[in-house]
Amino acid sequence: MGSTASRADARKRLRFHWSLSQAGNQFRRASQTEQMSGIPPVSAQLELCRSADDYEIDSLLMAIGFARPDPTVLAAALGRKTQRVKFMVACRPGLISPTSFVQQINTLSLLLEGRVHVNIVGGHTPRELHYYGDWLPREERYARLDEFLTVCRAFWAEERGEVNFSGTYFQVEGGRLKTPFSIGGRHGPEIYLGGNSEESAALAIRHADCLWRFAEPPERLAPAIAPVVRSGTEVGLLVSLIGRSTRDKAIQAARDLVERLGDSAQQAQLNFERHTDASAFRSTFALARSCDTGWATATLWTGAVPFLGPPAIALVGAAHEIADTLLEYRAIGVTQFLFTGWPDDEEMAFFGERIAPLVRERERVEAHAWRIRP
Amino acid sequence: MTAPLRFHWRLIQGGDMTEKIAHDRVASEAAVPEIATQMAFCREAEQLGIDSVLVDIGVGKPDPMVLAMVLATATDRLKFMVAHRPGLMSPTLFVQQVNTFSTLAPGRITLNFVAGHSQAEQLNYGDNLPHDERYERLREYLTICRRLWAGETTVDFAGRHYRIEAGRVRTPFIAPDRQAPEVYLGGGSRSAREVASELTDCWLRFGDTVENVARESAPVLDNGSEVGLRIACITRSTRFEAVNVARALLEPCELRRRESEAAFVKGSDSESIRHVYELGESEWLGGSLWAGAVRALGATSIALVGTPNDVADGILGFRQAGVSQFILHGWPKWEEMRIFCREVLPLLKSSH
Repeated sequence: MGSTASRADARKRLRFHWSLSQAGNQFRRASQTEQMSGIPPVSAQLELCRSADDYEIDSLLMAIGFARPDPTVLAAALGRKTQRVKFMVACRPGLISPTSFVQQINTLSLLLEGRVHVNIVGGHTPRELHYYGDWLPREERYARLDEFLTVCRAFWAEERGEVNFSGTYFQVEGGRLKTPFSIGGRHGPEIYLGGNSEESAALAIRHADCLWRFAEPPERLAPAIAPVVRSGTEVGLLVSLIGRSTRDKAIQAARDLVERLGDSAQQAQLNFERHTDASAFRSTFALARSCDTGWATATLWTGAVPFLGPPAIALVGAAHEIADTLLEYRAIGVTQFLFTGWPDDEEMAFFGERIAPLVRERERVEAHAWRIRP
Repeated sequence: MTAPLRFHWRLIQGGDMTEKIAHDRVASEAAVPEIATQMAFCREAEQLGIDSVLVDIGVGKPDPMVLAMVLATATDRLKFMVAHRPGLMSPTLFVQQVNTFSTLAPGRITLNFVAGHSQAEQLNYGDNLPHDERYERLREYLTICRRLWAGETTVDFAGRHYRIEAGRVRTPFIAPDRQAPEVYLGGGSRSAREVASELTDCWLRFGDTVENVARESAPVLDNGSEVGLRIACITRSTRFEAVNVARALLEPCELRRRESEAAFVKGSDSESIRHVYELGESEWLGGSLWAGAVRALGATSIALVGTPNDVADGILGFRQAGVSQFILHGWPKWEEMRIFCREVLPLLKSSH
């Protein structure tokens, strides 16, 4: 199925997601996590949700962490006030029984007409996992994740039989839930899973619909994701956007951003880097250090990573340059993107009005070309 | 100890809101929230003066936290008593969910802890602790939650079931008048009673004779916690009519229901469910207190049956025994809330 799958993927319509967690905050991630208030800025978040409803945003990522509100509960409140956009709810397997997690997600999905994806994360900082009573060493977190998703997917299977599972970390006997994921629609959510390690790729191939990776230059990314793309699991990129009407203006905006942030932001990231054990975070910090100029490619900018962390690796440029870059990634098999911006609302509007139309036009032309090919 | 009387109602779930009869335990449990109806029910409960609605937990039901959050967005004042069982998630994550709810609906979440009533159901969730250890775990869980709510900067805890280091959540609990949510604990066993009086605001129990309730409540009240009763009511303009409604609950397939209830009780490791099943030997437990449906419909079907005056007298009898909160339901499920609030509540106010 290898080449057929990749040819099909090359024609797949790109899907775009946006991170919701810092809506309304101009300086997202610029402060120590410790200083975040944890109170959701609901009106700013609702505005971003409604913009996402209007533009071509498939879903909003609801991140998880001790300094943030709970993503499942927050999605329940925001989701009822939106029409179309989906909510990508993050989950850490060590904190909740898989049965309970499925029950919460299914309830949420029924109340939001199926507008729910899940994003499974292993946790990136042991210190933080201890706040929750999770002491599993990193090597075992993958094995537990594997069991967790095996149980969840059994509950989400088309044939809704009794779930029985006996593993090292989870034992479920006679498992049944009466609340389905949807009525007449999907049997379970689309499952996203993040990570740069081989273990993450293997887990994604086994369980997920899409593997999230941090952005890196296409030629570096291509070999790393090739096995995932071949398996039929999609690959998505986490990347920030700084798009402006011209390349010069975009570069200026990027420079201004770094200037505004100053030393305290950098200190926050050095502090974070010391405590993280996630390879995705570590490798993006390393990529940023290896780019003296701050540019990994003509459009991929690492200049904000030392200040704002790995999620701040950014595509910077004019609308057509960013659209071209997105399509270059598509050529190596990337089919989904998760964006953030500074601030999110303006960047989402620029994306929705200037970048997305270019991408869609190119997709139409190419789809036509595929159809007329003998 | 004169806590004001407060009345809560059980959220209607599924297709049973207008029907006069009760459903089988398993077949009836709603899997799909009928959200428009439930929202209308909650808005009416709010107008009628109900303090909170109880949102149950179980494998046959939608998740109560998520459902309550959505219902809270459709109401203004009503509180939601969200049922929760320890053993299903990290206490820190649970506090984070509760606090998040409170930032979106300040002061409108309370918690109904239950240890779990059946080993088989707990195994659904991957939880295989036996009955007595479930209370030990509940104690640890509540201790951690309370310390997180007490505003300790970081919480360290090392117990048999949980080990937390520097535990914290950034999202605070928000309420106009409280630092932590009001916590109820349900269960009839001595362990339940002890944990309730030590670590919660209110001990919840099933209906029983006034004498039994008075005797068992005394130590809880002495400790400064309230006592709440989960009980049904069937109020009609005449006692005759009310008794007929009550007896009619049993008519459809009574034998099959009795068998299914007996099987449920047999599989349960809850002391109070077994005790109430024993009470079901007699139809009447004194005054208007009716146990006629217990053997077919379970422990929550113990009911005050009669005229508004009969039901009000029944409430005041339990009040004398020390009960200050009632979690009610009745048949038809929605209509009975209306009748109770319009006919019985005014009598209780005037008798204060």
